[in-house]
Amino acid sequence: MIQLSHNYTLPEREEESIPIKVVGVGGAGCNALDRIVLDGMDKSDLVAVNTDVQSLTSSVAAHKVQLGRSVTRGLGTGGDPDVGYDSAVDSADEIRQCLTDAQLIFICAGLGGGTGSGAAPFVAQLARDSGALVIVFATLPFAFEGKRRMQQAQDALTRLNGIANAVICFENDRMGDLVAPKAGIHQAFATADITISQSVRSIVNLIQRPGIIRIGFDDLLAALRSPNGRCLFGYGEADSDNRAHDALNQALKSPLMDRGRMLGDAEHILVQVAGGPGMTLSEVEILMQELGKHVHDHTQILFGTGVDGRMGNRLSVTIISSLGVDEQTPVEPKKTARRTPKSKPVAVAPAEPEPQPEIEPEPEPEPVQPVAIEGEMNEETIAPIEAEAEPVEAEEQIQDEPASEPVSDLIPFEQPRPEAPPSVVVPVEATPQVAKTDPQPRLIIPKKKPVIPKESKPEKVHAKQEVLQFEPISRGRFEKSEPTIVEGQDLDVPTYLRKNIRVK
Amino acid sequence: MASNDLLVGLEIGTSKICVVVGEARPDGTIKLLGVGQAPSRGVRKGEIVDFETAMKCVHEAVVDAEQKSDVMIRSVYVGVAGSHIQSFNNRGCVVLPDDRDEIDEQDIEDVKVNAREVSIPAQNAFLHSIIQHYHVDGQDGVLNPIGMLGQKLEADFHIIHGVRTRIQNTIRCVKELPLEVEDVVFGPLASAQVVLTQHQKNLGALVIDIGGGTTDYIVYVDGAVKQSGVLAVGGDHITNDISMGLRIPMTRAEKLKCEEGSVTLGNCLPGETIMLKDDSGFAGKEIERETLNTIIHLRMREVFDLLKRQLDEESFMNYVGAGIYITGGCSLLNGIENLAMEIFEMPAHTAHAQTMSGLTSAFENPQFSAAIGLIKYAQAVQSDRPRGARGFGRIFSRLFSGIR
Repeated sequence: MIQLSHNYTLPEREEESIPIKVVGVGGAGCNALDRIVLDGMDKSDLVAVNTDVQSLTSSVAAHKVQLGRSVTRGLGTGGDPDVGYDSAVDSADEIRQCLTDAQLIFICAGLGGGTGSGAAPFVAQLARDSGALVIVFATLPFAFEGKRRMQQAQDALTRLNGIANAVICFENDRMGDLVAPKAGIHQAFATADITISQSVRSIVNLIQRPGIIRIGFDDLLAALRSPNGRCLFGYGEADSDNRAHDALNQALKSPLMDRGRMLGDAEHILVQVAGGPGMTLSEVEILMQELGKHVHDHTQILFGTGVDGRMGNRLSVTIISSLGVDEQTPVEPKKTARRTPKSKPVAVAPAEPEPQPEIEPEPEPEPVQPVAIEGEMNEETIAPIEAEAEPVEAEEQIQDEPASEPVSDLIPFEQPRPEAPPSVVVPVEATPQVAKTDPQPRLIIPKKKPVIPKESKPEKVHAKQEVLQFEPISRGRFEKSEPTIVEGQDLDVPTYLRKNIRVK
Repeated sequence: MASNDLLVGLEIGTSKICVVVGEARPDGTIKLLGVGQAPSRGVRKGEIVDFETAMKCVHEAVVDAEQKSDVMIRSVYVGVAGSHIQSFNNRGCVVLPDDRDEIDEQDIEDVKVNAREVSIPAQNAFLHSIIQHYHVDGQDGVLNPIGMLGQKLEADFHIIHGVRTRIQNTIRCVKELPLEVEDVVFGPLASAQVVLTQHQKNLGALVIDIGGGTTDYIVYVDGAVKQSGVLAVGGDHITNDISMGLRIPMTRAEKLKCEEGSVTLGNCLPGETIMLKDDSGFAGKEIERETLNTIIHLRMREVFDLLKRQLDEESFMNYVGAGIYITGGCSLLNGIENLAMEIFEMPAHTAHAQTMSGLTSAFENPQFSAAIGLIKYAQAVQSDRPRGARGFGRIFSRLFSGIR
C-alpha cells in the first residue's frame, strides 16, 4: 500500500506571493481604486496617480503621486492628453519609485480625458521598464461624450496596446448591459467600477490563491502573450443550486468577454474555478464541458482550480484570454464594413479567409494577387475577380495593426489556376505548395513568421471586407436553399443584420 | 348529387398544407364541410424541395380532411405559389372577317390566343390568362362582347406564367397520392376570390397574402386583375430572423412570434421582458420585448417596402379605392395593418374569407383564405365550363372568361 500524504490543502506559501501593485491613473482610475479597496484589497498595494490634487487627497490609496507639480500646479489637465503626458514626464521619478518591487502591475485608467489618455501610456512604459508584467484596465468614454474624446481615447488605447502586456478594455456604452434600464445612474457607474475591481481581484487571487491545480505567473503570461491583442476577461460567481452553470453564464455574459463570442478564436484560455470546500468534481466537470462548447478545438486551455475556505458556498469562475491581432475583429471596422453594400455575401464568405495567409508572408504584394484570385476562382464568384484582389488586401489593412501574426488555424485552400505565372512561385517560399500547380485542394498551415507591415498597401474600403466577420453571415434555416435575391440583397439574411441594426 | 358538387382545394404551403372541402350549392353559395391540415415539411418558400416528405405531408392533410368532412376526396384544385411566377398585361387583337360582324365565342378564343403570343422564357408555361376588359371597335370596358357587333375585337389579359417544371412538380406530387388535379391556380388569385367582394374589386383593391414561405399580392382595378406577383419572403423569414437574433431554436421562435410578436415599435415599456420558459426544466431565457418587435418590424417593413417598389413599377396602385387587404398567416401579427397603412399610404385591413355557411372557424382564419379561395374559384370555373372534359393538358390552355 502506498501511503499518500494528505497535506494538500492550504499550505502557507508566503514566499511565493507575487508582489502586485494597482495603479489608478486619472480621475476614473482613482475611482476604480476606491472600489478595489472596498472589495478587500490591501491598501498598501495601491497607487493613485493624478494631476488633480483634490482627487488625490480623497483617494484611499496608500501611495499617491501628484503629476506635473509645475505643469498643472495641482489642477487637472482640462481634458488635454498632451498636458497629461507632460505632467507625467515631469513626475517620472516619483512614479518610478512607486513602481519598484512589483512583478505584476495593474493600471486602471479612464481614457478620453487628459490624465488618463496622456499619462497612462507613459506610466505603462515606466512599469514595463521596471520589469513587471503590465495589465491595463481601460475604459472608453460614452459615445455621447463626443467624437473628439473618443478619438483621444482610441489613440491612447492604441499606444497602450503597444506598451502593455495586456489591455482589458471596457466600453462605457456597455454599461447599459450591466444594469437594468431602470436602475439609478450611480448604480450603473458603480457596476462598471465593480466589474473592473472584480477583474483585478480575480487575477490577483488567481495567482495568489492556494490551489489544487495552480495557475502560475507563467500561465498568465502565456494566456496574455499576444502583445497587441485584446484581452478578454470574464468573471462569474454564484451560490445557487445550479452554481456551476450560473457562474459560467455570468462569466460569459460579462461585457468584457463580449458574450463569449470571441472565445472561439482565442489561442490560449486561462480558466480558474474556485470554490469552498463543498465544491465537487462533477461541478467542475459540468462547467468545463460547457465552456468547452464555446472554444475551438485547438485552443489551449490552462485550467486551474483551488479550494478556498473563504469562498464559503460560492463557486467562482475566472476566464482570461487574449486574442491576437488577426484573430480579433475589432468592433469599429466590423461595423463600418457591414454598412457597405453586399453583393454576394454567402458566396464570397468561404473565399475570404483563404487568401489571407497567402498575402501576409509576401514581400511583394503584386504577385500575390493572382494567387488570391485563384483561391476565389474556385468558389462560385466568377466575374469580378480582379476587383476582389484589391479588397482582399484592403481587408488586412482595415485591421489597423502594423505588425501581426498570421492566422495559425488550418485553412483549406483551393489550388491556384494552372496558368499561375511562374513569378508567383518565387516569392511564395513560405507556402510552396500553393504556387505549384497542384490539382488537389489541400490544407495549408502557414508558419508563423515575421510579417511585413501592411501600410504599403493602398487603403481601400471595399464591399468585400465585411465578409470577414466573426459571426459568419448565416441564413439560418435557409442555409441550403436557393437564396432569394431581390434588388441585389439576399433576403434570406435577417433584415436587422443587413441593415446593421443592433439587437441585443 | 349532381347539384351539390364536392369541391376540394389543396394548398401546399411552407408552414402548413391545408385541404378544404366544400360543397357548391346550386344557388351559388358554398358550404364548407371540413378543413384538413398537416404541418408542412419539405416545402420552402412555397416550393417543394423534398418531394417524398412533401408527399407524405399532403397525404396526411388529405386524410385529415377526409375524416373531418366524411367524404372521399378524389380530385382537387391545387394552389401554386413560388418566386418563379411572373405576370404581365397584354392586349390581344382580332379582326373579324368581312362577312361577319357579330362576335362569337370563337373570336374570344382567338383573341386570347393572340394575346398570348408574347415571348416568355422557354422554360415557362402559362398559368392563367385572365381577361380584364374587352374593347370592341374602340369602345372600352366591354365586359361580355358575345353577341355584340363589331369589326375589331381587342382584349386586355393579365397573363401569369411560371417555370413549367416547378409547377409540374407540384402537380406530380399531388398525382402520386393518388389524387386527380382538376386545375392549378395561382395562390393570390384564389385568395382574392374570397377575401374581396365584387364591389371591392370594382373599387380597386390590393390583396396581400403573407404566408409562411411567400408573400403574394394581386391588384384589382375596375373589377379586373391588373397586377400580381410573388415575393419569396414570408413568415419563415421572420421566424428565422427571430431565431438568429435572439439565439433561440426555430420552434421557440415560431411560438414566440405567434404569441408575443408585434410589428409596432415603441409600444411597450422600456426594459419590458418576456420570459421564455424552457420546458426541459432549465432556467428560461429572458428577452426584451422591444428587441423582438424590432426584429419583426424591420423584416415586415422591408417586405412591404419591396412590395411597394414592385407595385410602383406600374401605376395601378393609384386606382385602388378600397384599400389593402392583408390575409394569410402573418396577417395575424399585431399591428401589421398600421405598418401597411404607413408604407402604402392607404387604408389597410386584415381580412379573411368572407362569410360562408359551414365551419365558422375555418373561414375566419386568414391562414385558410387561399385554400377556401380555391373552392370559390373552382365553383366559378365549373359553372362556366361544361362538366366532363378534364385533363392535364387543358390546364395550361384554357379559357377563364368567367373568372375576374
